[in-house]
Amino acid sequence: MGLSAYLALAAVIFSIGLFGVMTRRNAVGILLGIELMLNAVNINLVAFSRFHGDVTGMVLTVFAICITVAEVALGLAIVILLFRTRRTAMADHVDWLKG
Amino acid sequence: MTLEVVGFWVLAVLLVGSALAVVLTKNLFHSVLWLALALTGTAGIFLMLEAEFLAGVQILLYAGGVVTVVVFAIVVTERLVGTRLAHTSRRVLAGGAVAAVFLGVMLDILARAPLAPVMVPMGADPTKLIGMALMTRFLLPFELLAVLLLVSLLAASYLARPEE
Amino acid sequence: MMLTVLLTPITVFLLLALVAPLRRSGRPAAFISILGALGTFGAAVQTWVLVDRLDAPIQRVWTWLPDSQGALATVGYLADEQSAIMILLVTLVSLLVQIYSLGYLSDEPAPAIGRYYVYQSLFAFSMLGLVLAPNLVQLFICWELVGLCSYLLIGFWYKKPSASRAAVKAFWTTKAGDVGLLIGIVLLWRHTGTFDFGELQQMAGAGLVGVDGLALITFCIYLGAAGKSAQFPLHIWLPDAMEGPTPVSALIHAATMVTAGVYLLVRMAFLFALTPDVLLLVAWVGAGTALMAAILACAQNDIKRVLAYSTVSQLGYMMTAIGAGFASAGFFHLLTHGVFKALLFLGAGAVIHAVGTNDITHMGGLARRMPQTMIVFLVGTLSLAGVPLFAGFLSKEEILAGVWAGGLTGPFVMLLMGAFLTAFYMFRVVFLTFFVKPAHASGHGHGHAPHDAPMTMGLPLWVLAAASMTIGIYFMLHHPAEAVEAPGWLAPVATGVALGGIALAWATFQRQIINAESLARATGPLRTVAAHGFWVDEAFVAVYRGILMTLAALVGWVDRYIVDGVLNVISAWTVSGGDGLRRIQTGKVQDYVLAVGAGVVAILWWLRGTM
Repeated sequence: MGLSAYLALAAVIFSIGLFGVMTRRNAVGILLGIELMLNAVNINLVAFSRFHGDVTGMVLTVFAICITVAEVALGLAIVILLFRTRRTAMADHVDWLKG
Repeated sequence: MTLEVVGFWVLAVLLVGSALAVVLTKNLFHSVLWLALALTGTAGIFLMLEAEFLAGVQILLYAGGVVTVVVFAIVVTERLVGTRLAHTSRRVLAGGAVAAVFLGVMLDILARAPLAPVMVPMGADPTKLIGMALMTRFLLPFELLAVLLLVSLLAASYLARPEE
Repeated sequence: MMLTVLLTPITVFLLLALVAPLRRSGRPAAFISILGALGTFGAAVQTWVLVDRLDAPIQRVWTWLPDSQGALATVGYLADEQSAIMILLVTLVSLLVQIYSLGYLSDEPAPAIGRYYVYQSLFAFSMLGLVLAPNLVQLFICWELVGLCSYLLIGFWYKKPSASRAAVKAFWTTKAGDVGLLIGIVLLWRHTGTFDFGELQQMAGAGLVGVDGLALITFCIYLGAAGKSAQFPLHIWLPDAMEGPTPVSALIHAATMVTAGVYLLVRMAFLFALTPDVLLLVAWVGAGTALMAAILACAQNDIKRVLAYSTVSQLGYMMTAIGAGFASAGFFHLLTHGVFKALLFLGAGAVIHAVGTNDITHMGGLARRMPQTMIVFLVGTLSLAGVPLFAGFLSKEEILAGVWAGGLTGPFVMLLMGAFLTAFYMFRVVFLTFFVKPAHASGHGHGHAPHDAPMTMGLPLWVLAAASMTIGIYFMLHHPAEAVEAPGWLAPVATGVALGGIALAWATFQRQIINAESLARATGPLRTVAAHGFWVDEAFVAVYRGILMTLAALVGWVDRYIVDGVLNVISAWTVSGGDGLRRIQTGKVQDYVLAVGAGVVAILWWLRGTM
């Protein structure tokens, strides 16, 4: 399998994740979509790294995974806070900045 | 039809299927479980790309850590609100259209791009290389990452602290 | 010595203007100013004697605006025959008026008296600077300065609305002419390259001044002169200017400033001689003004307004003489008129001061109470009427002779009619004021019986009366070399016309053989017209309403509906656009994500196109 196969697979997963971010009403669901998108990015990084014989991509993947963990932790904390203050986890119920 | 090709297609179907399930299922808890499956599938892809260390990290951190945290979060919030969390979608058509057009354009670009057909040998064990790179060239970002984790840990525990 | 003439009044002005306590002290300031005026008069006499002895102009100039070829403009003085005698008149009347004002304004508070003398000193300086100006630039600057002083002095009682309105009216009306003068001066400079009178005269004498386009220049200069010297239709400010104190009217609006226009034309006569069309216009307008103002003077009951219209009329005589090509005759009349009109105004001031009203129908029988005033006023009136042995007779006859010799029969007849009316309206004033029994008993209702003016006011009157008589008798005996020999019938005709006017006035107002009302009715519509000042003011108002206001309304409409309308439409679009665009800010994070996704797709599409 060539590089294009891996990149295509990553693109499909990224699109699915994007769809999830754009459509899920629940804030936790949006977070899950973001996870999918980041995964697709990781697949891209590793694939490029292997097909170019350069380890940098893999190192970046390590970073990306770690940052994702931090992001999830913070995102969930925000969801809990939102729940406490607004009694909802629905992203479309939060529109303080409506024009 | 080599074993590699068969394995890739199996993993690809598994990944795409579980990803779709993550964004489409009506049950938030199931959604998380499908995500765990998709992350595990990604670890399989890493294995195919001969990145065993990353596959391990993926399973341990994501499938183990992240999913556990999310499940905890769902349980905690459901207990706070006392009902099941609704898990519906909105603007499915618009979102689907944007995502589909995005995918189409991406695939079109990928089809045109001159991409390497075969893997290049790394010259050494990738795990060892990653370790060497982290300790030499990427040492400063690596240390900063540690700070980032600490900060986000503190921030998360501050934000989610019990109400006074 | 010439510098003394200029520097004395300006020093007094600066001293009084800058040292506020001195100015507010009133009478001390007045004494300083009078002392200065006395010194100026002395210096002027010396100058006159010197110029007369040397028989040549004395000139001294300093470079003011430097230029690549010497000086663009200079300042200095030019004392020749004309300016020497003119400063004599200016300083004499100025001195007498300042002394007279001491008595006339004795009821005013001290600061007001100080202010009055500051203006007087500034006026003396400006007028002398104008007369002695060796070039047109200095003349114009002083020309504006005397206009300013006129404005300040007309509005001396600035708390009186009519006075401040009259001041503004005088300022604007003369300013309308001054714009013409400024344009004329600049055009003349472009035409000849110099402002200097001497150089201009040499060039004109050598035939170096091109006639092409010169008519426009002389016309513009004439506009300035017409504004200052109250020629039709710019005469409207002068009757209103009588709102100022009477001594001011005597000095500025009879003897000196208003004659500046005539003086300017006399100065520039060599140039006007090159443009006969403009001269003809000057003559006709002058004659028309003389006759019209004389008619108007007959319809006035305010003694000062009668004198004001009389001044307009006499300025018309001078202008006609200049227009006929005999500038010297006009200048001669300017000088004699300056003396006797100042006398008349000061006499009228004494009457007003004593009676407390301007209305001649409220006066009467004052001859017995104010005999001195009556005598000097009669001297002035006889002068103005042009009776032999008095100052006005010779100068008026010379003008008539000049106009006749110039072949201007129409203006000549008009001037003759004007002379008849002059005698009539002046003696109407004399009879109504001094001789007939007062028609309205309320005239003397301010407490004490009217009596002759105090010494400070009486002395100037007698000096001026003596001067009028002296000039008249002196020139009867030493007949000056006239530019034109008057036809033999002219003197008897002129005298007859004057005596006829006097006789008509005597018959109407003194003997009352002729009923004044039926006489007025006999003139029919003319009287109605005259009572309204020939509707000149109304014409100005109509022009203002009709043209300016229409234009302003149009501009206002354009501004309100087109300029503002465009802006309102734009702002309405902005508001409604903002209101519409507001809706896309849903505040929901996923809508933004959708937009970001669409944006990313667009960028990708563009990248794909570049591949």
